Amino acid sequence: MLKSQSVYRIDAPGKVTGETMYAGDITPDNLLHGKVVFSNQPHARMIAMDTSAAEAVPGVVAILTAKDVPMNGYGLSGPDQPVLVGLGSSNPHADISRWEGDHVAIVIAETETAAAQARSLIQIEWEQLPIIGSMEEALKDAVIIQPWHGSNVLKKYQIRKGDMAAGWDEADIILESTYHLPYQEHAFLQPEAGIGYIDDKGRVTVEVGGQWAHEDREQVAHSLALPEEQVRIIYPAIGGAFGGKEDMSLQIVLGLAAMRLHERGINRPVRIIWTREESIFGHHKRHQATVYTKWGATKEGKITAVSATVHMDSGAYAYTSPKVLGNFHLMVTGPYEIPNAHIDSYAITTNNVPGGAFRGFGGPQGAFAAETQMNKLAEALGISPVDIRLKNVLREGSLLTVQTPPPPGISMAEVVERCAQEAGWNSEQYSGNGGQSPISNFRSPFNSIQSLPGNPQTLRKGRGIACSFKNVGFSFGAPENCEAIIEIHGTAEIERVVLRHAAADVGQGTHTALKQMAAAAVGVDMNLVELDMSDTATSRNSGSVSASRMTFMAGNAIRGAAEAALTAWASEDRPAIGHYKYIPPGTEPYDAETGVCMPNFSYGYVAEAVELTVDIETGHIYVEKVVCANDVGKAINPMLIEGQIEGAVVQAHGYALMENLVVKDGRILNPYLSQYLIPGIKDVPEIVQSVIMEVPDPIGPWGARGMAEMPFLPLAPAIVAAVHDATGVWFDEIPLTPSRVVAKLREKD
Amino acid sequence: MKPAPFEYVAPDSLDGALAAMQQHGFDAKPLAGGQSLVPVMNFRLAQPGVLIDLNGVPGLDGIWQTSDGTLHFGSMVRQSRLERDPLVAQHQPLLAEALPHIAHPQIRNRGTFGGSLAHADPAAELPLICVALNGRIKLQSTTGERWIAARDFYTSLFTTDIGDEELLVEIALPPLPAGTGTAFTEMARRHGDYALSGVAAVVTVDGSGVCTAARLVYLNAGEVPMVAEQAAQMLVGERPSEEIWLETAVAASQNEIDPRGDIHATADYKRHLAKVLTIRALKQAFARAGN
Ligand SMILES: Cc1cc2nc3c(=O)[nH]c(=O)nc-3n(C[C@H](O)[C@H](O)[C@H](O)COP(=O)(O)OP(=O)(O)OC[C@H]3O[C@@H](n4cnc5c(N)ncnc54)[C@H](O)[C@@H]3O)c2cc1C
Repeated sequence: MLKSQSVYRIDAPGKVTGETMYAGDITPDNLLHGKVVFSNQPHARMIAMDTSAAEAVPGVVAILTAKDVPMNGYGLSGPDQPVLVGLGSSNPHADISRWEGDHVAIVIAETETAAAQARSLIQIEWEQLPIIGSMEEALKDAVIIQPWHGSNVLKKYQIRKGDMAAGWDEADIILESTYHLPYQEHAFLQPEAGIGYIDDKGRVTVEVGGQWAHEDREQVAHSLALPEEQVRIIYPAIGGAFGGKEDMSLQIVLGLAAMRLHERGINRPVRIIWTREESIFGHHKRHQATVYTKWGATKEGKITAVSATVHMDSGAYAYTSPKVLGNFHLMVTGPYEIPNAHIDSYAITTNNVPGGAFRGFGGPQGAFAAETQMNKLAEALGISPVDIRLKNVLREGSLLTVQTPPPPGISMAEVVERCAQEAGWNSEQYSGNGGQSPISNFRSPFNSIQSLPGNPQTLRKGRGIACSFKNVGFSFGAPENCEAIIEIHGTAEIERVVLRHAAADVGQGTHTALKQMAAAAVGVDMNLVELDMSDTATSRNSGSVSASRMTFMAGNAIRGAAEAALTAWASEDRPAIGHYKYIPPGTEPYDAETGVCMPNFSYGYVAEAVELTVDIETGHIYVEKVVCANDVGKAINPMLIEGQIEGAVVQAHGYALMENLVVKDGRILNPYLSQYLIPGIKDVPEIVQSVIMEVPDPIGPWGARGMAEMPFLPLAPAIVAAVHDATGVWFDEIPLTPSRVVAKLREKD
Repeated sequence: MKPAPFEYVAPDSLDGALAAMQQHGFDAKPLAGGQSLVPVMNFRLAQPGVLIDLNGVPGLDGIWQTSDGTLHFGSMVRQSRLERDPLVAQHQPLLAEALPHIAHPQIRNRGTFGGSLAHADPAAELPLICVALNGRIKLQSTTGERWIAARDFYTSLFTTDIGDEELLVEIALPPLPAGTGTAFTEMARRHGDYALSGVAAVVTVDGSGVCTAARLVYLNAGEVPMVAEQAAQMLVGERPSEEIWLETAVAASQNEIDPRGDIHATADYKRHLAKVLTIRALKQAFARAGN
C-alpha cells in the first residue's frame, strides 16, 4: 500500500547547492554559441535575405536559413509553422512571417558576442502584409492568415443539448454577460535554453527543457526528416514550464544546427540561451478570449439553460489551440448539470502571439465565465453562492452538456461544502453585501505598497467563492498512454530497483512522487529505488507533463510495470524487468453537430473562497485569505500538493489582479518582467489555506487524481465575486488593475 | 545584456575624484551605488567611456548636524542608513518615511542619497523629498564649489544643473520650522516598484492652528519633482478641514501636475490617485503639525 508522506524533494539538495545543471549551465569543451534571428514581423512576406555581412563577422561558423531545413513545417496540431521563415525551402508557405516571434535564421559562432553581432547584420527585405491584430478583424476573413487552411476560423466546436426554447421559458431570470479574458505569460524562472550535438551513437541529440521528451523527438525527427531513433532528447533540470514548454522553442533549431554542422565536418556542440525578452517574444501565451454568454434559472436557483459563444485568439499558428478550445468549450458551463445548452466555440487565427498550453488549458477562461454567471445569479436571486452551487453541481449520474456522465468519483458537492465550511462561510451569515459598509476594527492591509494608513472610510471588505472541475489526462479521443520500466536487481533479496521513465520534472516534483510510487508498487523502501529519467534513449514514452496527468498516468504505469517485474522476480529472472503501458479508458471527440461525446476519463474537483479588502479610492485590492479545497483522490506527497496549490493560487492571483500583457497590432509592447508585472512575495495573498481532500478516483493509482491545474481555475472568479461583495460592482474583465477598478467604480457613482 | 566597454578608475580621495572628473569630463560617469547606472549601462542606454568609482573616496559618507539645526549628508550615504539613522528620524521624519518605498532592501543597501539625486528620475522619492524640504545641494569641481537649491537643480527629465566636471558631494536639509508637520505617501502597482503617484506634504501651523506655510510636491507627475505652488497656497490662512484638503487636492491634481498614461495606468487615473493621496497626506501632515 502507499502511505501519504511528505518526503523531501529528491532534487532539492542539488538545486540549493547549485550542483544541478540546467540546460544553460551545460558548457562542454569546444562549445559553439547560437542565436535565433526573429522576424520581428507580425505579417510580412520575405522578398530577400542577405547574410553576407553577417557571415563575414570573425568567429561566425554558420548561418542556417529556411533552405537548410529538410521539412520546414512543424507543430503539435499539424505542421503549420515553418522552422525558419524564408526562401528556398520545400514549404511553399514559409516565405511569410505570421508572427513577430517567427524564426528566420540561426547564427552559430565561436562566441555569443559574435553571434549577436552577426545577427544584427542580417539584411532582410520584407513586403508588408495587413496585420490582423484582433479577432473581430480576423473573423471577416478579408485576409486569410493561413492560406492552407482557407479561413481564419482555425477550429469550431458546438454543443446542442435539450430544447433551448423550453429552457428559456422555464427560467424566471435570464442573465447575459460578455467576459474578456487576458493573455497570460508563463514567466517561468528559467527562460528557454538548450544544447545540441551528435552523441556517441551518432544521434542528433538535444538537451533542453521541455514537457514531453518523446513528442519533442517526434517534432525534431519530422523536421529533420530523420527516423525517430536517430534523434535523442534529454531533459536536464527544468526551471518551470506551466505549459509554456509544451511546444517547440529551441528543440528543432538545436537539432538542425547539430546535424548541419556535422555534415560540414564540424562536430561541436551548440548552445542557445534565450534572454527573458526573447522568451516572452518566443513562446505562446494563455489565450485571450471573449465569452458572450446567457444563463437562465428558476427563482429557486436551478439552471434551466445556457448559451455561449466563445472567441479564443489562437494567434498565428495552431500550437495546441484546438485542444485548449475543446476544454474551454466544456468548461464554459462549469461543473454543473445544464439541461439545455447551446454553445459555439471558435479558435481564431490572428497575427498575434500564438495561444497555447498554460496551467488550466482553457479551463480558467471557461471557469471565469461560468462562475461569475453563477455568482451573479446567486446575487440576483438572493441565494447564497454556496447553496446555488449545491443545487446545480454535477453528481453521480449527472449528464454533462455533451450528454454523457462524468466518470464515477464525482466529489464537486463535497468539495464545495468543505471549502465553505473551512472558510467559515455558512449560508445564514451570508448577507450578499458583506463589505459594503466601512470597516470598523481597522488594520491597514496596504502597508507594503503605501505608507499612510489610508482612509478606513474607503476600505471595503468582501468575500467570494467559486468552484471548478478539470480533466485529468488527454481528452476528446487523443491517444493517451504512459509507459514505465521497472527493473528489480538482487539475488535472494531485492537490492535495488530502477525506474526508467520519461516524465519531465519541471519543478513540480514529479520525480519525487514517481519514486515514492515505485517504492510502494514494488514494496521496498524508497532508498532502494534509483531513477533513470527523461532520456528518450533509455525511457519509453510517458506523454507530457500537462493536463494534471502525470501522477495519475505514471502511477498506473508504474503499478503495472512493478507487477510485471515482481512476476519475473518470482520466476527467478535477475534482473527482473517489467515494462507496462497504461492505457486509460477511451475518450471521444465532439460530435460535429451536437457535441455528444465521452470527453474525459477522470476529473479533479476544487473550490476556493477568498477574503479581500478593496480601497475604493485607489482601486487597490489586497487579498487576505484564500481557502482552497482540492480533491486529489489520494495525497501521495502532501507537501508537494501544498506547493502546487500555493503556486497555482499565486499564479492565478497574478492573472486576476496584475498581469497585463499589452499586445498591439501583433506586437508585444512589454516583453520584460519590469513591465509585465507578476506578483512578488509581498503582493500575494497573506494566507493560503490548503484543504487536501481524498475522495478516491476509482481508476486512479491508489485513488489519486491529478491536481496541479485545478487550484488555478476558481481564483479569478472568486476574487471578482469578493470585489463585488465589497463594492457592489461586477467586473467582467481582468486583470483588476487599480486603474481599471477606479474607472469602473466611478462609472457607478 | 552586458555594458559596452569602459575604463574604470577608483580614486582614493575627493581631490583624486575631482581630478578624474576634470580629465574625462563629458565621457565620464561617477559610480555611486550603481543601482541605476549599472542597469542603464547594461541596457546600453548609457555608454560612458570612463567610470569613476566613488566608493573608495573617504569623507563622503557622513551625517552631521550644524548648530543651526541643518542636517548634512555626504553624497555617498547609503539609503539603508538614511532609513535607520536616529538623527534623520528625529529631525527629518519625512525623509525617513519615504525611504522604505525605494525599491527593496538589497537596493537600498547599495543605493546612495547623492546617486538618487543625481540620477534625477522624476518617479524617485529622494529628489521629491529634497525639494519638499527646501534642501540644498553642494556641487564641487577642481575649480570650486557651489550650493544650489534642490528645486533649481532639476531641469528636465533625468537632467540636472550639474556640470560635466562637477560632483555632487553634499546635501543639506534645513530644520523644520516650529509647528511643522510632514507626510509622504505613494502607491505602486506592486511592492518595491516605482510609484504610480506619490506626494509629500509639508505644512506649518501657528499657535491657533491656522496654516502659515504649505508645500506639496509630486513624483511621477511631470519631468521633474512637481511643486503645486498655487494649490498649496490655498491652505495658507486657513484652518485644516476636509473641505479645504479636497479643494487643494483637486486644484493640485488638475492644474499643477502633468502625469502621463502608460501601460500600468491612464493619466486620468494618475491624476485621481494624486488627488486621493494629497488628501491623505494633508490630513496626516496637519495632524502631525498639531502635535
Ligand atoms: C529594481 C530597482 C528598483 C528601484 N526602485 C526605486 C524606487 O522605487 N525609487 C527610487 O527612487 N529609486 C529606485 N531605484 C533606484 C535606486 O534608488 C538607485 O539607488 C538610485 O536611483 C541611484 O543611486 P545609486 O547610488 O545607486 O547611483 P548610481 O546608479 O551609481 O548613479 C546614478 C547616476 O547618478 C550619477 N552619480 C552618482 N553619484 C554622483 C555624484 N556624487 N555626483 C554626480 N553624479 C553622480 C551617476 O553617474 C549616474 O548617472 C531602483 C533601482 C532598482 C535596480
